[in-house]
Amino acid sequence: MNTSPTIALFPEASFGAALNCVGIAQELRKQGATPVFICHPGFVGIFAEYGFAEFHLTAHPSQNTQTAEAHWEDFLNTHLPHFNLPPLEQLTTYVAPTWEAIVDTAIDVEESLQEILTQIRPDAILLDNVIMFPAITKAGCPWVRVVSCAETELPDAAVPPYLSGLTPLDTAGCNAFRKAYRAATQKAHKRYNSFRRRCGLTTLPPDIFLENSEDLNLLLAPSAVRYDRAEPLPEDRFVFLEGCVRNENPFELPYFPNSRGPVIYTSFGSLGALDTDLIQRLIEAFAHIDARFIVNVGGYLDSYDQVPDNVFLGDWFPQPSVVAQCDLFIHHGGNNSFCEALYHGVPSLVMPYCWDGHDNAQRAVDTGVGRRVNRAAWTSQSLKADIQALLLDHKLQDQLSRISARMKQTPGTRQAADAVMNLLRRRP
Amino acid sequence: MARSKRTHHQSHLHLAQQITALILERGMKCGEHLPEQALSDACGVSRTPIRSALKLLESKDIIEWQQEKGYFVSTDSADRITSAIAELENAEDSLANRILLDRSERRIGELQSVSALARRYGTSRNSVLFALKVLSQEGIVTQLPGRAWAFQPMVDSPKSASESFEMRLMLEPLAISSAGFSLDQQKVGLVRKKMKDFLQIEETRTSATLFQRIDIEFHSLIAESSGNRFVRSALLTHHRLRQASKKGLTVPAFRMHQAMEEHLEILDSLDRKQNELAADQMTVHLRRSSIRRPEATNRGISPLIRGSRP
Repeated sequence: MNTSPTIALFPEASFGAALNCVGIAQELRKQGATPVFICHPGFVGIFAEYGFAEFHLTAHPSQNTQTAEAHWEDFLNTHLPHFNLPPLEQLTTYVAPTWEAIVDTAIDVEESLQEILTQIRPDAILLDNVIMFPAITKAGCPWVRVVSCAETELPDAAVPPYLSGLTPLDTAGCNAFRKAYRAATQKAHKRYNSFRRRCGLTTLPPDIFLENSEDLNLLLAPSAVRYDRAEPLPEDRFVFLEGCVRNENPFELPYFPNSRGPVIYTSFGSLGALDTDLIQRLIEAFAHIDARFIVNVGGYLDSYDQVPDNVFLGDWFPQPSVVAQCDLFIHHGGNNSFCEALYHGVPSLVMPYCWDGHDNAQRAVDTGVGRRVNRAAWTSQSLKADIQALLLDHKLQDQLSRISARMKQTPGTRQAADAVMNLLRRRP
Repeated sequence: MARSKRTHHQSHLHLAQQITALILERGMKCGEHLPEQALSDACGVSRTPIRSALKLLESKDIIEWQQEKGYFVSTDSADRITSAIAELENAEDSLANRILLDRSERRIGELQSVSALARRYGTSRNSVLFALKVLSQEGIVTQLPGRAWAFQPMVDSPKSASESFEMRLMLEPLAISSAGFSLDQQKVGLVRKKMKDFLQIEETRTSATLFQRIDIEFHSLIAESSGNRFVRSALLTHHRLRQASKKGLTVPAFRMHQAMEEHLEILDSLDRKQNELAADQMTVHLRRSSIRRPEATNRGISPLIRGSRP
């Protein structure tokens, strides 16, 4: 094996996958590898700030000429109301168009990805994405699938369907969702399979946009919230990670003028920060709760004024370091957020709005590590009651302390790096 | 006289903040000794003001005095230390700081009246007026015709951050390349030492607050060394505003270290009298620092980045 193998990490264009990969890359670097990042168009600077080389994909020239800002305005106008719908109704309104856009991206960057891989000549590729890019399979090196979404992304008869927000016990609901999911995504799926055929790849079965790796698959699914699968995944190819928490610089708690209560961190990810009306409502409710609230408002700080004395707003936080110091984490069910809460033994109040956030919200309830709040149907009284219930639940605190201790004993970042380095050692 | 006392108090408070930053960065535990001479060297001042700062910290039970032994850390709770420092900052004669802090955290609006501020802080109109005059001298608030006072825009949104870098990219290299640029070598020595000390801190213990303080000190030193008076004045006012904004402290430790190394390279070039090279290095440094994370991302869409990108 090359003494400092070059590992190309290719996360999808979301902060969750990107920062999950930063955690793995930090550990790979410690183990002597040279991690580099392949970035989707416009996803600039995230990895360089952590000291990693970046290689930027360019989209095919035929891509929509609309500016990103105009595109996002359309996105907001179209989809903000959809985030209040139940998962089943999101299938046609949000999930199907998102899959169409993902397929577009895979087609648009293929040529550029081939060029970048020729330039990097990696010893291995870590693909943290929801779709296969044909260039990956032709790069002449092993590739690793990283599932940084909820475990539901890998289907199984005993696991509720991906993006459904259902419990495994709801058999009828699960079957109905599976059927509706297939109907909603089949157009994008057919188009994607045609693209695969053109690239010389075999087609994939319905619902599936990304095959498992023949070499190694890493799942960000801590044992505390893992499902009992009807068909267990082979241990030689599938490694479950106990979280995947990156190293961040310490967070210094901000000054709050007149409150000393528990610290509650709120973040709905960069997409959730776009819903400034919801966050404004939350801030108004927080003003009447005896606690200190740290709220991630993304790039929309200037949308807020008259911030209560027990609330602190910021555009970006070193999240793992903040979660480590807080007593409760209000989040959208993003898998990184959910795992970071578990890793630091902090209860979750999950307010999902799309994608696997629904799955994690339900899983938090089923495993007793948190509560779920419907983003369209809460009041300041119900929110206060949920917060207080979680803060005062000593049995839950004990349960979370045990989970945290177990996860910290075998950090997912190290598990992932060990597995990748072992894979390279095994190869001729 | 009152003004002089106030100035002294603020300088002791600033030193006290530096000492607590050292306690936190070094992860000092209860019972660890705080030698006056070492603090004096670290802060670049004599032992007399260090003693006054230590007394301030003792009054808040962050450290304790032991007869004939000196000062020792008496709490290692970061939360308690931060709260105690905030209390000191919020002492009566720091009303200007409190107003500024509340504005930077958007707890009070852009337009303010003296009476509204007097009500909020439970103090007299005269105290508020004095505080507003202090902020006015710093160029942070302006008195409008009538009774209103207006805060300058803060560097706290993607657009304002872009505009800030756009301005600095024009002016900071110019500050260096203009005729008459002259550095105070004593100040260079002090800031260089602080930067080197910063680079010794492990990445996992890096303090964003300390980074911002040293960063602004370095860039202010460049500004005040400029031979162009208008560039100097505009940049110094802007750096005070950056300090007041207290936002944008969210870069990972790697970039903080890298930025500190870039500062040192600029000083090295200036020491060799290669001002044009230093000006170019400043451009590169600011361009790197101005790279912003996308504001929103989602599968299948190009990330959202609003505002201009210098």
